[in-house]
Amino acid sequence: MTEPLLVIENLHVSVGEGDDAKEILRGVDLKIFPGEIHAIMGPNGSGKSTLASVLMGKPGYEVTGGRILYKGEDLADLSPDERARRRIFLAFQYPTEIPGVSVVNFLRTAYNAVHSDRQLGPLEFRKYLQTKMDLLEVPNSIINRYVNAGFSGGERKRAEVLQMAVLDPDLAVLDETDTGLDIDALKEVSAGVLKVHNESRGMLVITHYQRLLNYIQPGFIHVLISGRIVRSGGKDLAVDLEAKGYDQFRVELGLPEGEGTTEE
Amino acid sequence: MGFARSDVEALSASLNEPDWVLERRLEAWTWFEKMELPGEKEEPWRYTNLARLKFKLDDFSVVPAVGKESVVPSSAGSSWVELSPDRSGEGHQYGSTVSMTRPDMELDSGGVIVADIHTAIEQHPELVKPHLFSQFDSATHIFSALHGALFFGGAFIYVPRGKTLSLPVEYGCHITKAGTSIFPHTLVVVEENAEVCYLERFSSSGLGGSGLSDAAIEVVAGQASRVFVATIQDYEKGVWHFHNHRYRTGRDASFKSLVVTLGGKFSRTEVTTEILGEGNSVDMMGIYLAGEGQHFDFRTLQDHAAPHSTSDLLYKGALKDNARTVYSGQIRVRPEGRETDAYQTNRNLILSDNAMANSKPELEIENNDVRCSHAASVGQMDENEVFYLQSRGIDRISAERLIVKGFLEEVLGKVGRKDIRGMVEHLLEEKLS
Repeated sequence: MTEPLLVIENLHVSVGEGDDAKEILRGVDLKIFPGEIHAIMGPNGSGKSTLASVLMGKPGYEVTGGRILYKGEDLADLSPDERARRRIFLAFQYPTEIPGVSVVNFLRTAYNAVHSDRQLGPLEFRKYLQTKMDLLEVPNSIINRYVNAGFSGGERKRAEVLQMAVLDPDLAVLDETDTGLDIDALKEVSAGVLKVHNESRGMLVITHYQRLLNYIQPGFIHVLISGRIVRSGGKDLAVDLEAKGYDQFRVELGLPEGEGTTEE
Repeated sequence: MGFARSDVEALSASLNEPDWVLERRLEAWTWFEKMELPGEKEEPWRYTNLARLKFKLDDFSVVPAVGKESVVPSSAGSSWVELSPDRSGEGHQYGSTVSMTRPDMELDSGGVIVADIHTAIEQHPELVKPHLFSQFDSATHIFSALHGALFFGGAFIYVPRGKTLSLPVEYGCHITKAGTSIFPHTLVVVEENAEVCYLERFSSSGLGGSGLSDAAIEVVAGQASRVFVATIQDYEKGVWHFHNHRYRTGRDASFKSLVVTLGGKFSRTEVTTEILGEGNSVDMMGIYLAGEGQHFDFRTLQDHAAPHSTSDLLYKGALKDNARTVYSGQIRVRPEGRETDAYQTNRNLILSDNAMANSKPELEIENNDVRCSHAASVGQMDENEVFYLQSRGIDRISAERLIVKGFLEEVLGKVGRKDIRGMVEHLLEEKLS
């Protein structure tokens, strides 16, 4: 039997310190096998982006209980770059600008950091990059610009997908990749994600809205509310959510109106 | 240790100098004798206290027995990074020797002179005398006075009307022995519609102690000339470096200066560009990386004395460990400076809690019809940028290095010359690794 790629067990996460500490994730369980696409859906403040940040090891989030196992290894003590070198990738909701660093230089540095067994010189890398750009139909103009500097919302997200294709991760986490995209850009970005997906890769797609899932069509959908996964199911769950909204779960779970909207 | 009037006389005699040069030296010496180390109460030295930095002139002396040599020493030391084999001229000074050569391929460019400053004084007094010390003022402070009295070495470049030296002339100033001092003085005269690129480099190798470098450069950029002057200071940590840059630009000249400061214990750079002709385009660029125990002090002046000219200054530096940097810059627009566009930007990237940068811009505008702006910033590295790069597998140290290079790219992007840019990138790479 195949080993799971990612196992999240009873994960509790807080932000802030001392009296200001606030628990955002309150016991999350999740298991992803290679080849699977999972979606985490939830309203604002449910802890979706916290989950993405914690998976990548962003400073400022404290795991107060439970654990994350990736390929059987506990991620707790690994820095973000060590996680990336173990082939975890996070597509950012708001990709950061790196002034003065061109996309092509940045990507080659990243590629060589992640693929220590297969270092590419500038020319070799440029050829490799071209194959990924052709695959995703990314225009040449983007790679000589500075990373995310002056990019439109769509360009940023497209560049994130290009980075994912180039770095070739085993686990990809897509944090609200649909935000800020018009319908055409959404289709393009979704198509790119699907081109990059394959049977050995696991994906975790985080989103507020169902519309991204119309294109990506994950096999597993989880509803995150107030730091807990309150329902898991198949494609139908997303349709159900789109029709009835998140309030149905609040009612079912007896949560007060507006609960789970304090973060993000 | 220390300096004496007899040093000045001995130097002048060994160089067999004409009286007018000795007179200028002695006049500077008279200033030197009257002066003391500048203190914090003097505005130009407000953030740089030499006494507290434990600077003493008595720790240094002249190199004995100066003289000229026509042979380039075979090695400039292991830290010397070759620019490229292609140059319009190359010179070096090591201790008491100075030399300047020109590749044969340039010999047919009639009228171009590339020589050391002393050979030029001897052979081309008519070209040197009107310009030497015409901008540089020995009375500025004690270091300019000492320089005026003891200047030795430096390049002389003369590019006659319409001539282009497409390859750079490179001159290296080397301190070879602990406790010694060098005083190179370079003069570049570029006539109408002529072009030159001059690169001056300061370095030391295996010094094992302190050294004093008290240098000056004067450039006269003629009408419609195109001039690029780059200076790169990459001394070892024991060296105290003082450098006075004086640039004067004529009508329609295009003038670029680049000051790269990487080494030394202390570095004080004063750059004045006097814009004397209309239609000038002036770029003043600076890059610095300051680390453990280093104190850099930059002082710039964009002096607009003619209409319709543009000057754009961009100095950017990164500081780590307990480094200190000071930038104070002035834009002066004289009443004649109608329709001036003058810009000044200094940005500092702080990589450690113990590093400190001071940045002080100043405007002095005597004409209403101008566009001027200045900007200064001192900021920490953005942790979001570091996390983003780390999330792509790049370790923290490499991520910081990449961010610093990106931060300096704005200046490198303005350099324009591939040869100079490549060399500066190479040195930055070494210094950052």
